[in-house]
Amino acid sequence: MNQTRSLEARRASWILASPLLIFFAALLVLPIYLGLRTSLSRDRFSNPEVELSGIENYVALLGDPDFWESIRFTLTFAIIATSLQLVLGFLLALIFDRNVPGKKYLFSAVLIPIMIAPSLMAVMYRLLLNENIGIVPAFFGLFNIEVTLFSPNALFPLLILLDCIQFVPFTFLLFYASLQNVPDELYEAASIDGSSYAETVRRIVIPLLKPAIVVVILLRFLEGIRNFDVIYILTGGGPGTMTQTVGIYIYKTAFSQGDFGLAAAASVVLVLLLAPFTPWIIKRLSTSEQQ
Amino acid sequence: MKSRKKSWLAFIIILITALFLNLPLLGAIFNALRSDNAIASGAFVWEFDAGFSHFQNAMGAAGYDFPSFFVNSILISLGTVTLVTLVALPAAYAVARLGFGGPWILRIAVGLRVIPAIFFLVPFYIMFSSINLIDTIWVLILVNGFTNTTLALLIFSNALAELPLEIEEAAAVDGATVFQRLRLIVIPLLGPAMVAVAVLTFLFTWADYLFAVILTASDATPVTVGAANFVTSYGVRWGDISAAVVLSILPPLVFALFAQRFLVKGLSAGAVKG
Repeated sequence: MNQTRSLEARRASWILASPLLIFFAALLVLPIYLGLRTSLSRDRFSNPEVELSGIENYVALLGDPDFWESIRFTLTFAIIATSLQLVLGFLLALIFDRNVPGKKYLFSAVLIPIMIAPSLMAVMYRLLLNENIGIVPAFFGLFNIEVTLFSPNALFPLLILLDCIQFVPFTFLLFYASLQNVPDELYEAASIDGSSYAETVRRIVIPLLKPAIVVVILLRFLEGIRNFDVIYILTGGGPGTMTQTVGIYIYKTAFSQGDFGLAAAASVVLVLLLAPFTPWIIKRLSTSEQQ
Repeated sequence: MKSRKKSWLAFIIILITALFLNLPLLGAIFNALRSDNAIASGAFVWEFDAGFSHFQNAMGAAGYDFPSFFVNSILISLGTVTLVTLVALPAAYAVARLGFGGPWILRIAVGLRVIPAIFFLVPFYIMFSSINLIDTIWVLILVNGFTNTTLALLIFSNALAELPLEIEEAAAVDGATVFQRLRLIVIPLLGPAMVAVAVLTFLFTWADYLFAVILTASDATPVTVGAANFVTSYGVRWGDISAAVVLSILPPLVFALFAQRFLVKGLSAGAVKG
């Protein structure tokens, strides 16, 4: 009996998992193979002949200052944006975690940016910041302040701010959800012991939220690395290559310059740069699974 | 100390934050309701004299392609939700209940988050152009199906882990096959997880820009690419652009607000546990 059941279970599990296995084979394994092969080939729009070229693309890539510049920009952007979103999301969650009138509606209102496609957000930013019709330049104009929002000096902080508008709601949500697991009695006990609110937060709440903090940093950083839509729509990576993320570098190399081999090599190097962290990330994200 | 009294100070801080975070959307709605003259004469001209003409223009009256982008986005998002559920739910059952693949399937699913979507840009383009799927809604359903399956797998396996085993065991003793147990017992209990997967997949698919921009040309263009191109091709028709963007935002927004409980649970569970 037991034997037939386990045989049935084994057969059923293969049948049930087969769509996923086909999916992984067709859309994960095959693309990885194609990506690696393309990165080792001379594959350009200008020349229909695709031929293997060894490590030629990798040599060209590692010698391309634009590539390293895009890596530097992407990392700087991801680190600064992640840190700000971590702090702001946490503060907002703390402020929210009390008896606020109209809480239900405010909660929905704060979450709305999560529900908007980044590319559509970017189109709205363009309307908002447009120097002829935008509300923001008009607002500064009321005080006779002339702002050139897309000037090279203002551009980086502006892009960071726009990233925060969209993703502080996300970090807020994760922190607020974990704050609900901190029992009210803890705050009461701490205050009876004469601990101030700030001290309670620092000594009790933050240590309790450590798993959530790690997850927020990981998720926002990994998402930050793949930043594409908003920056591409707002600046196209410019002026020059000033705001070129790795994503924009790969996209332009493949589809503007038509050099698929070089773009594929850049994609492989990007994954290799992230690969050393993978086991650690799997461990961090899977241990919180058991809690 | 955490007070039980109503905190009006917190109310004011949060209200201002919420208004600031929604400034882009409020600005777009504001412009969509004003005539192009009012828009051009100043950002603070409060004349809502356009009625719904911009919305009518966006929905076809002015001859833009926007309505077909809109239909494409809806078909792609609904198709992806269906595909993701059909692939991930049975697989999650095989993994969580029948021990398929040990811990490896879920580890791969978590590990895949490390690979940026951009890695697949060139391979997907090469693959799908060689089989002539470019510029069809099918290609975007497949690609978004793939990118959303890992999260769905994690949400479904977490949900399965929380279901009691006893009912299924009793059914098995009574001679129910694995498929009968899945169909008659497990799927009805997975309702909340299915809503969470549906709302998240719908949101993320609707939001896709990167794959849509390389894998579509005109026939299968979704609203994200359409709206971004709109700004460059009809640069001065601010009212129509604003209306088109507001309309593009509505379907996922309405879905997510109605299913907010599931969205919050799915995002925090999927994120924290995934």
